[in-house]
Amino acid sequence: MSGPTGAGPVIEVRDLTKRFGAFTAVDRVGFEVHAGEILGYLGANGAGKSTTIRMLCGLLAPTAGTALVAGVDVSRHPQKVKRLIGYMSQRFSLYLDLSAAENLDFFGGAQGLAGRRLRARSQAVLEQVGLLAHRDTRTGDLPGGWRQRLALACAILHEPHLLFLDEPTAGVDPVSRRSFWQLVRGLVRAGTTVLVTTHYMDEAEYCDRVGLMVDGRLAALDTPAALKARLVPGRLFDVHGPAAGSRGRLAAIAGIQHVEPFGAGFHVRMADPSVGAGDLAGRLDAAGFPGAVIDDLEPSLEEVFLEVVEGWPAPANAPEVPA
Amino acid sequence: MSRGFLIRVGALARKEIIHIIRDVRVIYMALGLPVVMLILFGYAVSFDLDRLPFALVDQDRTPASRRLVEALTGSDSFTVAVRLDDPRAVEPYFRSNRLKVGLVIPPGFGRRLQRGEVAEAQLLLDGADGTTTSIALGYAAGVGQAETRRLLAKTGLLGDLGLRDRVRLRFNPGMKSARFIVPGLIAAILAIMAVLLTALTVAREWERGSMEQLFATPVRRVEVVVGKLLPYVAIGMVQVLLVVAMGSLVFAVPVTGSLGLLFGAALLFLLGMLGQGVFISVVTRNQQVATQVGLLSSMLPTLLLSGFLTPVENMPLLLRAIAAILPARYFIQVLRGVMLKGNGLRELWPDLLALLAFALAMVAISTARFKRRLD
Repeated sequence: MSGPTGAGPVIEVRDLTKRFGAFTAVDRVGFEVHAGEILGYLGANGAGKSTTIRMLCGLLAPTAGTALVAGVDVSRHPQKVKRLIGYMSQRFSLYLDLSAAENLDFFGGAQGLAGRRLRARSQAVLEQVGLLAHRDTRTGDLPGGWRQRLALACAILHEPHLLFLDEPTAGVDPVSRRSFWQLVRGLVRAGTTVLVTTHYMDEAEYCDRVGLMVDGRLAALDTPAALKARLVPGRLFDVHGPAAGSRGRLAAIAGIQHVEPFGAGFHVRMADPSVGAGDLAGRLDAAGFPGAVIDDLEPSLEEVFLEVVEGWPAPANAPEVPA
Repeated sequence: MSRGFLIRVGALARKEIIHIIRDVRVIYMALGLPVVMLILFGYAVSFDLDRLPFALVDQDRTPASRRLVEALTGSDSFTVAVRLDDPRAVEPYFRSNRLKVGLVIPPGFGRRLQRGEVAEAQLLLDGADGTTTSIALGYAAGVGQAETRRLLAKTGLLGDLGLRDRVRLRFNPGMKSARFIVPGLIAAILAIMAVLLTALTVAREWERGSMEQLFATPVRRVEVVVGKLLPYVAIGMVQVLLVVAMGSLVFAVPVTGSLGLLFGAALLFLLGMLGQGVFISVVTRNQQVATQVGLLSSMLPTLLLSGFLTPVENMPLLLRAIAAILPARYFIQVLRGVMLKGNGLRELWPDLLALLAFALAMVAISTARFKRRLD
């Protein structure tokens, strides 16, 4: 077991399971997170992402399995874990009637910071998240994106080496999301390890590795590039235009493995990665679709996610999995 | 007490004070409600008779009958509202709630007295209003006895024969209701406010999700409970000061005993009530439910089972058993003891011990039920 500065994994999870009555929210999940890494946890609502993160933060007792966070067993020493981590919960739980500085004072005090150290850290994190000018603004008067940055500031006040972010950008506009991620990447460059859950597929691209969670199981875990290569092999094209055709007739063309409607056209995947756009145009021509516009396409994690979910057996115990 | 404990409790208390200062409603409630309740109860709940109107049916019309009426109205307890000729005419006044008392002096009342015979006068009472009629009955019976004694003395019959009862009302010689109600009211106000305010503040943290954020920090349960309670203890003590001062200035309720003892007892009582509030919100985790349970569990027993308005001794066994674990009951005993009787620790230590036991039990139970984990 090594500390956050050691060479081994900072988080080690084995067969972690959480049951609520007959419902299994997290089912025998296992993974490792290494120091200085951003691990993204991707999945639909109710897939078990938040439950996993809450167990790792010592907020929920696991039903079975083990989780070592910074070398500490969360089942046995949940309080010890809390000193070592920063946590930003799903709903930003800031006090809206308190000013930005007052929220920092409170969460700093809750972490045991006081006096000169608290003042210095408070000043530092406000500067870090760009809210120094708004330190005395009531949190309720701050826009959503700024509140979320303040919540991050509250979570890193005590300089944790490990940061858990549970859907930190839910309900925030795209510009604020991007600036939030810049902050997170800055923290990681400074040595912090981050485990973040999200259901925005584009955000997963910021992560070093991505875990896909489906029905309480960790269905896949790898770098975004490796996931794409393994789960969305072949080549992807965007086909649109006056004669793009129908999904069924496109799928019938030789060499086309998968057709997905997208906007006014389709995303078409060819099984053979050596097939180029020109080859596809020829085949479409031959099949009676002349003049279709064909663009090369980089597969996104969305395709990966859809691939995983479609290949997944029908849920045994989950009441429903919203797409 | 470690440095970390003080830092964390201090942070929680400071945050709570900011919440209170920023939410004007809490201030209004904390300072306005005691004043309103004191004025309402102080003036409205009165067991004093003040010019209770009654129907007079004087069929005798002699100096003796007039003397009886004068004896009744002389103390300003009763006043003649209407004079009727027929006893049967009184009932419509009862039915329409215009009057609750009637006095019938039958013909021959004066003549019988003159002859030295037993003369009867009839008191008619509206039994539907038990409180008024029992007070009226008590007063009228007293007047009747006094008149009898006076008449007997005049005839020389009451020598050294009969029993002379000398009643002395200690501690409240004027039988003023306010003196008896204000101490109980302090208990009622503290109970309701303390339970309600804390029930709301903790339940709000659950509802808004900030409790989850709080539990992801090293803050311990007892630190949350203590940090949350401290500011409300301060508010409670201000309320005690307010009600005691108003009781003394407006209703002339004295504090004959030690003020220190009064505030000490109030502190113990407050801790118990605040603990009860935390317990309710820990269990309900919902502001609306916490408000309702908080109100019911604080107001009803304090008003009905604590000896505030009705004596506990007359209640059935089950209610007496509930009253026995009710801190308000002991607190009211302390307050009446300190304010009216000038009692000290020597008389009050069992009550103070009961208050301390309840406070410790409540804080312990609410801390134990306070699950740091979310499941």
